[in-house]
Amino acid sequence: MPWKTPPGAGATVHIWSGYSLAERDRRWRAVRENAAKSGFDCILVPLGNGVDGRYLTQLRCSAMVLPTDGRAPIIIADRRSSNEWSPEPWQTGREWAEPMGEALLDLGMERSRIGVAGLKRGRVTHCHSIDGVVNHTALAQVMSRLPNATFEDATDVVGFVRYVKSEEEIAFVRRSAEVAAAGVDALIEYAHPGVDAAMLYADVTARLLELRSEYYPLTLTLDPIGAPRPRRYANPPLGKRLANNAMIVSEVSAILGAQLTQVTQPVVLGRLPAEWQPVIELQIEIYQEGLARMRPGTAFGGLIDFVHGFGTQRNMKALMQLHGCGYGDDGPLVGANFDGDQLRELCIEKGNAFVWKPTAMTADERIKFCWGGPVLVTDKGGEGLFTRTHGMASISPSG
Amino acid sequence: MIEGAVDFDWQGYSLAERDWRWQRVRDNAAKAGIDCMLVPLCVDGRNLHLSLEQARGTRSDSRFLTQLENAAVILPTDRRPPIIISDQERGNDWVPEFRPIDGSWGKSMAQALIDAGMERGRIGVSGNRRGFYTHGRAFHGVVNHSSYVDMLKRLPNATFENATEVIGHARYVKSEEQIACLRRGAAVAAAGIEKMIELAKPGMDEGILYTEVMRRMVSLGSEYYPMAFYSGLHGDARLPRFEDPTEGRVLKSGYRLANEVDAVFGGLIAQEQQPILLGPIPDTWKPAIDAQRDLYYAALERLTPGSAFGDFMDFVNSFGEKRGVKSLLLMHGRGYGDDGPLFTPQNRGDRNRDVQIENGAVFIVKPIVKSADESFDTSWGGCVLVTDKGGEPLVRRTPGMVSIT
Repeated sequence: MPWKTPPGAGATVHIWSGYSLAERDRRWRAVRENAAKSGFDCILVPLGNGVDGRYLTQLRCSAMVLPTDGRAPIIIADRRSSNEWSPEPWQTGREWAEPMGEALLDLGMERSRIGVAGLKRGRVTHCHSIDGVVNHTALAQVMSRLPNATFEDATDVVGFVRYVKSEEEIAFVRRSAEVAAAGVDALIEYAHPGVDAAMLYADVTARLLELRSEYYPLTLTLDPIGAPRPRRYANPPLGKRLANNAMIVSEVSAILGAQLTQVTQPVVLGRLPAEWQPVIELQIEIYQEGLARMRPGTAFGGLIDFVHGFGTQRNMKALMQLHGCGYGDDGPLVGANFDGDQLRELCIEKGNAFVWKPTAMTADERIKFCWGGPVLVTDKGGEGLFTRTHGMASISPSG
Repeated sequence: MIEGAVDFDWQGYSLAERDWRWQRVRDNAAKAGIDCMLVPLCVDGRNLHLSLEQARGTRSDSRFLTQLENAAVILPTDRRPPIIISDQERGNDWVPEFRPIDGSWGKSMAQALIDAGMERGRIGVSGNRRGFYTHGRAFHGVVNHSSYVDMLKRLPNATFENATEVIGHARYVKSEEQIACLRRGAAVAAAGIEKMIELAKPGMDEGILYTEVMRRMVSLGSEYYPMAFYSGLHGDARLPRFEDPTEGRVLKSGYRLANEVDAVFGGLIAQEQQPILLGPIPDTWKPAIDAQRDLYYAALERLTPGSAFGDFMDFVNSFGEKRGVKSLLLMHGRGYGDDGPLFTPQNRGDRNRDVQIENGAVFIVKPIVKSADESFDTSWGGCVLVTDKGGEPLVRRTPGMVSIT
C-alpha cells in the first residue's frame, strides 16, 4: 500500500532536478543490467545512502527499491517531495523503516536476493566510507521484516553506473568545472597580505554561490610557504590576516547539476622561491603526460606506476592524486592515504570524469606542489575541463 | 556593530570545558548503570539528510566530546580516559592523539572496547534511537550499519543498550563557554537578517540575496550553515523552501519572505528568524502579528527552571484563544545539531511533556500565531537562554514582521 504524506508534514525543500526522463531511464536501465549480472532480484537504496538516492531519483532525501526484472521501482520520498522523475512516490515523514520494508514486500521480495547499495565502500563510489553509509536501526528493522530474504552489498552495482557519465552529465561537469575555476579566480583576486582570512573565505564561497553552485566546503591553508604540515581550514579562519609569504593551498569545489568538481591552484603572497621551480616543472610534466595516458582501456595500475616512477628520474618524488567527479565521494580514489592497490586492474573508460591533481615533491618532501582539476576521458586521452595557467599563482605584496 | 572575525578573540574551548563535558557524561552513565559509553561511527550528514538540523546532528555527539568532525568514542564510566578513534587528518587540543582506523571501524571499535575491558561490559550506545534531548528528528538514530554489526559480532558477551539520553542530557545544559559561542552565533545570524532587510526589494535576484546573506555571516566567522529561505505571494500555496541559492527567481512586490537564518560558532548552531513583507502590512494581519509578539514575551516569562514542558506547552498552545487567534508552540534546543526537545506543528511535542526546563538550556523559541480563519500565520523568534528569571534572548531584536516598501 502506498504511503501518503503524513498530516502536518513539514515544508518540502526544493532542489535542482533538471535531468531528462531519458537520463532517468538510462540510469535505471544500467543499474538493472548490473544487478542482473550480479544475480540480484532488486536493488535497495536504503535510508542513509542519500547520494545514490539522489542519483536515482533527483530527490533530496529518498529510498528506493528497483526490481531487476524491469518493473517500476518504489520510491520513498521525504514529506511532500516529488518531481518529474518520481511524480507519485510514497511519502513519509520521519519513519523510513516501515515503508522500506513494505516496499520490498509489495514487490514480492520475501525470499529474494536483495542488493543493498552503500552497505560497504565501493570501488568507484562511497570511497571514503570504508564501512558504507547505511543507517543501522532502519536496515536492521527492514531485515527483520524479511527474515527469509538475503541482503548483500551492491554498492558497485550503482557505482559503476555513476562511474561513466552521460552527455547530459558531462555538460554539467563542464559547467561545474568552470564555476570551480571562477572560485579560484576570486581567491586570487581577493587574496592579499593583510586581508581578513574569514572575509577571503566568505568572498570565494560567495562567488561560487553567485554562479549557482550548491554549497561544498572550501578548504585552504594560510601558513608561510614551506611550512611543514600547514593547517587546513574547512571553515572561515578566525583571528587571522593573510601574511606576506603565505601559501594558500586551496580546494575549490563547485556543484552544478549535482556534479561535484574541484580545482586547485596554490597561491603565494610574495615571490616564489627559486627552489620551487624544478618541482613545479616536474608536476607540469606529470600532469600533462598523465592526461595523455588517460585513455579508455588503460588500467589504473599503469597510471599509478607511471606517476610514482616519474619523479625518481629527477631525484624527486611524485604522488598520484585522483578521484572521480560526480554526486559525491566518487572514485576511484587514489591519494596519500589511498594507494590504489585494489584498483590496479580497473580500467579507465570513455566518459569518466576525474579530478586529476598529481603532486610533485622534493626527495625530502620539504617542497610539495599540487595543481589540477576536472578532466574528461575521451578517445584521445584526458581533456582538461578548466582553464588556468599551470603553476603557482604569485601575488606581489602591492597586489 | 558586530566585530569582524579577525578581531574576535576566541581561542577555542578550554580543557576545563572538555573535562566538564566528559564528567557530565560519566555521571549520567553511572546513574544509568552503564560501564562505558560508546559513540559509534555515525552516518555522514551528506548521506543522511532528512533536514538541515538532522544532517548536522548525525555526528554531533563526537563533535561534542572531541571537537573532531568524525570520531568514535569509548568513554569508561570509572574516570579512565576515553579511547578515541578517528579518520581525521590531525588531532586538536582536546584530543592530541587518537587511534587511526585499523582496517574497518567495526574492528577498531571492538578492539578499543576490549582494551577498555568491556568484553562483558554493559555498554551504552549513543545515537541508536532518537532521544528527547538529541537526535529527536532521527527516528532510526544515526549509527552506521556495517561497522556496528561487525563490532557486535566481535563482542558476543557484552550487552549494548540505547543510551542516547546519557549524552543528550549532558548536551542539554550549556556551560558558560557554550553560551558565549551561542551569543556570538545569534549576533551573527542577526547580522545576516539585517543584510537581508538591507537588500531585499522587488526586482532583486533571490539567488544573489541568498548569497549576500551567507557572505555576511561567513565573513563574521560563522561556519557555513545553509539558510532556509521561503518566498512568494501570500495566499498562494505554501511558500516553497530553498536551502541553496535559487536560479531564475526574482523578488516581486507583495512577496512574503520567511527564513531560518543560522550561524555556527564553536560548533553550536544559533538561529534567528524574521518574517518580511515587500509591501505594507495589511490591517487584517496585525492582530496575529501583535499576538505573536505578546506570546513570545509571555512565553519567555514562563521559561523558568524547575517546571516540566507540559504546562509551558499548554500555555503557548492556548494563548491565542483569548485573543481570537490560534497559537502553536514551535521551539527546539540549540547546540551541535538536532537538539531537542522538539516542538513543531507536525511533532506536537506530547512526548516531551515531562521533560524538565533547566537552567542553562538554550532554545530557538518561535511560536506560531494564526488568524482565526487560518488565512494568515506568522512566526518570529530567536535564541533564548533559560535563566532563573525566565528566558533571556541571546541577541536583542524586536518581534514582528518587517515591511519593506
